[in-house]
Amino acid sequence: MPDLATSWDDPSTTDGASRDLVLEALRLASRLVSSGTRVREARCLLLHNDVLTSVASSRETEASERGRYRVSEHANFDRAISTGQVVDDGSTVVVPARGDNGVLGVITIDGEGGLGDAQPATLATIAHIVGLGVSQSRAVNELQLEAERSRRLERLKSEFLNIAAHELRSPLGIIRGYTSMLSEGMLPNPDREVALSRITEKAEEMARLISEMLETARLETLGLELELEPVDLLEVVDNAVHAMRPLMGPRHQFALAAPGDDIAVVADKRRLTTMLTNLIDNAIKYSPAGGEIEIACDHDEREATVLVRDHGIGINAEQAHLLFTRFGRLVTPETSHIRGTGLGLYLARESARLHGGDITVSPTPGGGSTFVVTLPIA
Amino acid sequence: MEEDVKVLLIEDDVAAAEMYRLRLVADGYSVVIGHDGHEGLRMATDEAPDFIYLDLRLPGLDGFEVLERLRAGTATMHIPVIILTNYGEPELRERGLKLGALEFLVKSDTDPAELSESVERAVSPRALPSI
Repeated sequence: MPDLATSWDDPSTTDGASRDLVLEALRLASRLVSSGTRVREARCLLLHNDVLTSVASSRETEASERGRYRVSEHANFDRAISTGQVVDDGSTVVVPARGDNGVLGVITIDGEGGLGDAQPATLATIAHIVGLGVSQSRAVNELQLEAERSRRLERLKSEFLNIAAHELRSPLGIIRGYTSMLSEGMLPNPDREVALSRITEKAEEMARLISEMLETARLETLGLELELEPVDLLEVVDNAVHAMRPLMGPRHQFALAAPGDDIAVVADKRRLTTMLTNLIDNAIKYSPAGGEIEIACDHDEREATVLVRDHGIGINAEQAHLLFTRFGRLVTPETSHIRGTGLGLYLARESARLHGGDITVSPTPGGGSTFVVTLPIA
Repeated sequence: MEEDVKVLLIEDDVAAAEMYRLRLVADGYSVVIGHDGHEGLRMATDEAPDFIYLDLRLPGLDGFEVLERLRAGTATMHIPVIILTNYGEPELRERGLKLGALEFLVKSDTDPAELSESVERAVSPRALPSI
């Protein structure tokens, strides 16, 4: 009997060796049973959470649907997998493929006559070889994923070193400078107060940078876990505005708009505050010439929104999607000097999405950017 | 005290510029501030400073471009320039010195008092380069 046409249906497997092994095993298994049987199709199906998915087949005709089967709904599959024995109902032979950690799939042979002259033990051995091959290729995939993960962390580390080298130095320079002038006692009284308030601001800036770095590291390695509680959104917005007031330039004004009633959301209060301070900080930084920064809260039955609108430099619409990626700061001649880690908006949106909401950005008519946070209503 | 020595700070970070200004003024220098590369260049010509502190990360023209133009201008080519930056990479330092900066200072490692000392050294007659 001529070999059947073979095909490989599993696009997720890139390992050529295991692919060749599986196809060769299917050909071999077909030949073994074919002396007493007309084989229509031999297939290899892999098991994942009670579902068998066909990954390769060897068949008479080109057309074959890519099968997915719930094991518990197919008695032959169920029996073969639970007993580890070859099952033959006269039209389909099901051979369990045992890998390193139990049965990880089956080989099936469809045809009239069932097993024919073939020895179940020989088929079981062929299937076992397939199982071992697949186990091995999965282990290789796992290693590749691990390598990719560690490359990602390596990249994160170098990005963090860069922040430490540049962004942390700037506030540190001010703190050290003023501290030294204060300890020398060379500053007259009003300047002393300026010095103290600058030191406080810059220490806070450093603390913010450090927590952004830690939060990003946590997000990349462990994922963030929200500490949810009922929160009045207006109170959080007020706190964020209050916290950012010292960073406003003399030419900035805040314009706040909010409905008369409370807006109840379920949120991680600390992260929500950070998200909003980030947006306000951005609005201040990216409107260097000053102007109004509008902060407006609203809600309907389903969701609450907070809008933060500036009239500053604005964002190129084509690049807007980059804004929310890690270290996705848009550096242009106008913005290259603006301090920033490129983490604030990334963390803000990740956090909004974990809350079941989102952050979007659009241009402000006449120039500037408008960010809108949406959160589900409690 | 050098009552008549004028220092130009080319620095976009308002908090940093203000701090350095306080220190230099307290030490008896007069101080003018350029908040970006273009403004700094213009003031280097119009204000005829005796000394320039130059940041690297600036809006418009960056510090290296400013330094190149200062060195190319007849009115500004002899003004001593010290780079004062948050960047500490050796290749940037080398580039700055090659372009003619007198020193390359990293802000977080520099006490503001050192600013006045550097000006003092650079503008005192003994330190003037022989022509």
